[in-house]
Amino acid sequence: MLIKLRAPGWYRAALFDVIGFAFAFGLVVLIRTLMHEHPVLDGYAITTVALIAVPLFFLVGLGVADYWFYWAAGKRTRPEDHSAHGARTWRDYFRVNTDHKVIGIQYVVTSFFFLLIGGLLAMLMRAELAQPGMQFVTPEQYNGLFSVHASLLIFLFVIPVFAGLANFVLPLMIGAPDMAFPRLNALSFWLLPIAGLMMLASFLAPGGSFASGWTAYAPLSTSLPLGQTFFTLAVQFAGASSIATALNFLVTIITMRAPGMSFFRMPLLVWANFSTSLLVVIATPFIAASQFFVLLDRALGFQFFNAFVGAGKNGNVIMYQHVFWFYSHPAVYIMMLPGFGIISEVLAVKARKPIFGYRMMAFSLLAIVVLGFTVWAHHMFVSGMAPWIRIPMMVTTAIIAIPTGIKVFSWLATLWRGVLRLDTPMLFALGFLTMFTLGGISGVMLAMIPFDIHVSATYFIVAHIHYVLFGGSLFTIFAGVYYWFPKMTGRMFDDRLGKLHFWLTFIFFNITFGPMHLIGIQGMPRRVADYAQQFATWNLIISLASFGLGLSTLVFLYNMVASWRGGPRAAANPWRALTLEWQVSSPPPIFNFDAVPTVVGGPYEYGVPGAVHGIFKSPAEARPTGTIATSPTPE
Amino acid sequence: MEASAISHAEHHGPPPAHRSSRVEAPLLGMLLFIISEVMIFGAFFTAYFFIRVVNHNPWPAPGTTLPEAVAGVNTAILLSSSLTLHWSLVSVKSGNRFGLKAGIASTFLLGLTFLFVQINEYVHIGFAPYQSAQASIFYGLTGLHGAHVFIGLCLLLMVTIRAFRGHYSPESHRGMEVPGIYWHFVDIMWVVVYTTVYVL
Amino acid sequence: MRKHPVVQLLLIGAIGTAIGLPIALAIPWFPAQAATQAHRIDTLYHVLLIVSVPIFVGVLSVVLYSVWKFRMKPGEEGKDGPPIHGNTRLEVVWTAAPAILIVALCTYAYTVLHANEVTKPGERTVNVIGEQFAWYFTYPSSPGKSVVTQQLYLPKGQPVVFKIHSRDVIHEFFVPAFRLQLAAVPGITTTLRATPDRLGVYSVVCNQLCGNGHATMRATVHVLTPAAFQAWLAKQPVQPSPGYSFSSTGGGAPAPAPAPAPSGKAGNGSATAAAGKAIFTGSGGCGACHTLADAGTTGAVGPNLGIRLVPDAKKRGLPLAAFINESITKPNAFIAPGYPAGVMPQTFGQTLTATQIQSLVAYLASVTK
Repeated sequence: MLIKLRAPGWYRAALFDVIGFAFAFGLVVLIRTLMHEHPVLDGYAITTVALIAVPLFFLVGLGVADYWFYWAAGKRTRPEDHSAHGARTWRDYFRVNTDHKVIGIQYVVTSFFFLLIGGLLAMLMRAELAQPGMQFVTPEQYNGLFSVHASLLIFLFVIPVFAGLANFVLPLMIGAPDMAFPRLNALSFWLLPIAGLMMLASFLAPGGSFASGWTAYAPLSTSLPLGQTFFTLAVQFAGASSIATALNFLVTIITMRAPGMSFFRMPLLVWANFSTSLLVVIATPFIAASQFFVLLDRALGFQFFNAFVGAGKNGNVIMYQHVFWFYSHPAVYIMMLPGFGIISEVLAVKARKPIFGYRMMAFSLLAIVVLGFTVWAHHMFVSGMAPWIRIPMMVTTAIIAIPTGIKVFSWLATLWRGVLRLDTPMLFALGFLTMFTLGGISGVMLAMIPFDIHVSATYFIVAHIHYVLFGGSLFTIFAGVYYWFPKMTGRMFDDRLGKLHFWLTFIFFNITFGPMHLIGIQGMPRRVADYAQQFATWNLIISLASFGLGLSTLVFLYNMVASWRGGPRAAANPWRALTLEWQVSSPPPIFNFDAVPTVVGGPYEYGVPGAVHGIFKSPAEARPTGTIATSPTPE
Repeated sequence: MEASAISHAEHHGPPPAHRSSRVEAPLLGMLLFIISEVMIFGAFFTAYFFIRVVNHNPWPAPGTTLPEAVAGVNTAILLSSSLTLHWSLVSVKSGNRFGLKAGIASTFLLGLTFLFVQINEYVHIGFAPYQSAQASIFYGLTGLHGAHVFIGLCLLLMVTIRAFRGHYSPESHRGMEVPGIYWHFVDIMWVVVYTTVYVL
Repeated sequence: MRKHPVVQLLLIGAIGTAIGLPIALAIPWFPAQAATQAHRIDTLYHVLLIVSVPIFVGVLSVVLYSVWKFRMKPGEEGKDGPPIHGNTRLEVVWTAAPAILIVALCTYAYTVLHANEVTKPGERTVNVIGEQFAWYFTYPSSPGKSVVTQQLYLPKGQPVVFKIHSRDVIHEFFVPAFRLQLAAVPGITTTLRATPDRLGVYSVVCNQLCGNGHATMRATVHVLTPAAFQAWLAKQPVQPSPGYSFSSTGGGAPAPAPAPAPSGKAGNGSATAAAGKAIFTGSGGCGACHTLADAGTTGAVGPNLGIRLVPDAKKRGLPLAAFINESITKPNAFIAPGYPAGVMPQTFGQTLTATQIQSLVAYLASVTK
């Protein structure tokens, strides 16, 4: 038992949780005694400190930092025996693992877990909204539901699931044996469940979960009960995870590409994650800061957002929104650009054509990164900020439609005269193309200030964000999960169930979110548990459709679980793709490659006779992989 | 073809990655991390800008003063720690182990002194963060910087321990150069904080 | 019959647009138009629709046409498409055309914005004050004095400038019929202009999450003829202007801190009660959440005070006046069955003066017996 408590793992993590809580308790009591604060025992303060200390102690207990402690103490670091590399049983997925493929799957499964919870919360909201008046929940519970729904799906699903997919495929795609910092990669992952569980645990806090929306505007967020602190701190953990992963991706992409893999031979998924990681590294500190301000206001009585301290001493309320949106608008692209990458991979392979205008596709990603930092205040057209700021923000916001348009048009041109395989990943890619176009168009409409002044914070916004994040991001995630499922698990999924999943999702998605445009323009505000009678019919339709949308996820879940357990074995390259991840076995060998491959051509040379993207240098595999690419697969 | 692919699994240890850039991974990682750190300071300076400039609040808050002189001395302490750190790095490159140890230890002690002076300043400054928005951002910015000094000191402590245990050589000193970059960043950031908060 | 694919596609796109555009324009998107601003915004939206529908139909047509024409047919399992890597001319076109479109739309949107927000002669100022969870509106009469109401009354055809304030957190003053909204931000005054041009009663909505009672933070705007408006205004009691801040120090607020209510002479119960009624419907903001027949308020966030105070005081075991006092100053001490705790602001004990609370208690006790 003692050995179990000393060795890294769950037993030591549990022990360290207890120590962490005791530390927080002791620290608060000590400081409050020294400062002569009464009472010495303060539940709010202890909870706040414990929410910081317990996760950190947990991480150390689990063993993410053992190696670093050895290194820091100047001890002889144990030679890497690769025992923390690769997964042999399902238990290995619950340990600290430094293999990017294991971490990728940990990421994807964890974030889908939070997708289900977030979706379930949405179902509860729609149940309440099915009729006007209050039926199932109280107003504060309702506010908690949509706040946790949005926070989980943004911080614990869309952002990390893309990091997870890229974690798995990106090192393979660029011919790297792993990420640049495997131990940091493991830490990034383990920060995530902490953030998610913290957000969920806020439901247990006295006064209920945080209820100020995912935007947590001050001074509402500085005046709400304890649950808000859970959000403030959970965002720090999720943000730290994001930054660490992004940094890892950037260093991996810059320093670990295979020979011959110039920037303009990288698959667009790599380009997309490169751009996204730039956004994350630059923007994410702003949301960390915004939540630091709120935390300081809440916990230590700082006055950042108190407009009534006294003449000449007042805080500034609008500052929160500037800082928040300086992250959270780029976050929209953090949640979309990796999806663009996935769609480029899927469309090229499934249409059997090179990506149309590859360089423009790469440049438009960078253009979106740059422009993404210049548009944050379009979320604030009715916030009461200085009115002149609205005009440049309208123009930049509209301009961002140009690189986005280039991407959409290039994808369409990629389809043109191709040989389209209409299987599940392709259906989701095509669904994305149409739905994202709709979301993009409503986005340009929203950039037009006078129209935005009317529909800001109405259901039109709810419709817009779900068309870009559900019809946009989530469809690309589904496309990506289906596309790489054979590579990740070594099994094929059931394509018929996949198609059923697509059609159910596509139809119910449109019935759920389409009408929200209309009721939004008619003036139904978002974030309300109760609404005027005139919106009753549409809300009932939306609620019924949303239940259908929720049920369609069960088809996906069944398909994934059943196929992972007992699907037919997948060939190394079932899609006849050229990119490097398909040139190794499914699932890939533990160290990805025997020898690092050499890249000799572009990633999307479909239709070019004998085209090859990469060859393996080691003598056994020195023949072109194009022979794999054109041989029919057993399936 | 599949059989040959599966044979990868018997391989022991990963193949060495191809180096596609002359920049070393730890150095690049640290530079990117510093970009993130600059941005978090940027966010705090945004708050400072809104409270001081947009709100037209007098600076410092009415009835309070900021100890520019004490902070000025503290600035000198922190800047001299950058010099000792550089001396330490030059020493290790030329194989001077005494210079390495003395330089890194004095850097650590100077950093510690800075932090003590800063805390002492808080104790005697005569206003609390809840008294005004200016006080909040004063404590916010200097506190954020103090936290970075603390992180930097943790890194320096590691380097010091490793230096005294005989690590680092003229050929291999990345392990102290990279934390050193962070420490220089913390120093430069202090100059910006000192200028905006105390001097301007 | 054998047309070029691009011609076929254009044909499909044109037919799709011809069907889609009338449908998009025929949908009754908007609620009633009750301000000149609304007309311009609705026209802008319809222009945006006319631009957007062909774009969306075009994308949809390409996708559907590709699925129809270029899907893999049996026997094509090993076939690839032609290796087309790009077409510079096409790429220039689809970069430049949207750019031109965007410049045009932004220019148009700017002119609409300017027309909507330009200062107009003869503007009437109405102060809008938001607090958790009520709106009230003040019409300045003489310095320091205003008419304070909980429902907004406006004359038709006269431009009005709203000066919007908040006493606690951010609220958003939203009148869907005017197509206008703007945040009420603590510490600053925001300005919104509207010219009502249609008689009727429309809703005022809080459109920024402000706490548990957010969904019910509603009021109505009555657009009257100028004569009717003047008659209404003349009938309203003039009170000291309420402050815009709930701060105890108060110095930061742009207007004086809450002024004491008209002082009721000691022993003069009916005068005290009348002052209490004015606070109830005016600066106290009670009526926004509570129904009270005597005051003519219909709020539904909290219990109906006309029928619940007496039985609830018995349940609590307190004399009526003491119970009312406790419920104002410590609202969570007793929660009326069926209502959630924590909704009623707990700050009235600080924001209302002792005299004001006395008046309120006297008034409420007098009308609920």
